[in-house]
Amino acid sequence: MDFIQIILLAVVTFIFAIDQYSLTEVIYRPIIACPIVGLILGNPTVGLVVGGTYELMMVGSMPVGGAQPPNSVIGGVVAMIFAIKSDFSVEEALGSSVIFALFGQYAVTLTFSFISILMGKADQYAAKADTKGITRINFISMAFLGTLFALMAILAYVGGVSVSPMLKEFSDTYSWIMAGLGVAGGMMRYVGFAVLLKIMLANDMWGIYFAGFVLAALLGNVPATAGATLLSVALVGVAIAIYDFTVSCKISDMNQGGGMSDGI
Amino acid sequence: MASNQLMYKDLTPAKPLDKKTINHLVWKSTMLQASFNYERMQAAGWLWSILPGLEKIHTNKEDLSASMSHNLEFFNTHTYTVTFVMGIVLSLEQQKAEIGTIRAVRVAAMGPLGGIGDALIWFTLYPIAAGICANMAINGNPFGSLLYFIVVFGAQMALRYWLFNMSYSLGTSAISVLTKRAKEFTHTASMLGVFVVGAITCNYGATALGIMIPNGTTLVDGEEVANYIDVQGLINGILPAMVPLMLTLMCYYLVKKRNWTPTRCIFLLLVLGIVGCAIGIWASSDPYTPLISVPWKPQ
Repeated sequence: MDFIQIILLAVVTFIFAIDQYSLTEVIYRPIIACPIVGLILGNPTVGLVVGGTYELMMVGSMPVGGAQPPNSVIGGVVAMIFAIKSDFSVEEALGSSVIFALFGQYAVTLTFSFISILMGKADQYAAKADTKGITRINFISMAFLGTLFALMAILAYVGGVSVSPMLKEFSDTYSWIMAGLGVAGGMMRYVGFAVLLKIMLANDMWGIYFAGFVLAALLGNVPATAGATLLSVALVGVAIAIYDFTVSCKISDMNQGGGMSDGI
Repeated sequence: MASNQLMYKDLTPAKPLDKKTINHLVWKSTMLQASFNYERMQAAGWLWSILPGLEKIHTNKEDLSASMSHNLEFFNTHTYTVTFVMGIVLSLEQQKAEIGTIRAVRVAAMGPLGGIGDALIWFTLYPIAAGICANMAINGNPFGSLLYFIVVFGAQMALRYWLFNMSYSLGTSAISVLTKRAKEFTHTASMLGVFVVGAITCNYGATALGIMIPNGTTLVDGEEVANYIDVQGLINGILPAMVPLMLTLMCYYLVKKRNWTPTRCIFLLLVLGIVGCAIGIWASSDPYTPLISVPWKPQ
């Protein structure tokens, strides 16, 4: 019985882990994931209560602007294990799952770093028009994330609350490595920006680049406009773009001796 | 990564995508983040999502590889509104627009929709659905979970489907202007793209220094309170998000002038990040203790 439960738990956690970024992006939410875990562990009602409570907690902490809450998938699954197997109250269960949720976040950091390294391989596949290779990269990525999460669910199931002090000690001792990996992860997007700039940035566009930067810095630091930063920047950008397009069309028409067209 | 090809070899417009392929693409768009990563974020998932369309459009292998290469560049947008970018990019691919034009449109379109997506989905749809359904669930009613799934999933799929079709026909109808004015349009769109990249350098760039230099103590209500010089605060006084800007320019220099591969830059940043945290230079959202104790990282 236990064995079947472990297998099923690992399988659904594997799916939830992937679902938090792809697939439906809905079933990983605690309000759905927790009752499913409850069903596996034999008490769906507790699942509904834990899931509903966690869902309300989460509405306040959305992954917006790159800030991530401690991982809710692992948080929810582990809270369910503690609530049913260790007979914890909902609050106790959610509280004890926090350290696991932190490790869930570590797993995400690790995965996103690992996949960054795969991108060089993806470039090679693209250069050869190898569509199967691109598919493979995506499957490897999902499997990596799913497996890490499934292993953590198994650890929580087998080890129970007794694993917590060990995890706590590990995260205290090696917090600098995980923080460093997170910081490095936050930096890696600059490589992506740099490659785009290498291709798109003509010499007459440096001013435009800095103008976009400064406008985002301005809007992003005013509470009233921070939420709409990129949309506002785009609107200003479109205004400049329409002007640029109209003017350059007129210039080229004049050079051709035409001058009848109104641009757009 | 950066293919040197500027135009597709086969410039005959492909057949418009049929209904079946469009439906396939809308469903495939849910896999956008399958290989999300720190360097290019959704790039490989984006390419994977649009592959069914690209394979139909580019029957010649050279063009397919050129298209795949440029679609593997940095990409990040909101997952639910990505189909808008898909529709417009695929309509340009289908008409065999210049690669520079397609790239510029893709980059210009990915930023702003993220903001709309966040406002629409995270701040509106999820809180409303959670508010209604969570209480049903807490009272032991499984219909709460089911309703949540139907509302959120149904809404996002409808949004994805509508956005794709809307932007695909938008791209198709704009194409005659674009091809007549390809040179001007590419310059304009690249400019808009560079503007957006400038904005996301600031908006997505979160790297900050965590250096707090002890600076004596002051008496507040009879208690000694330690003072610190916050180096990041000083930098913000000069230019907010200066660290992300400097790091981006450093990567640009390495990639453009020194011909570094992106992978090499990634390893450099990995070392910078971890060594920096070992000596407590970087600020981090997860609290951490540096490997060696340093005066500028108070406990």
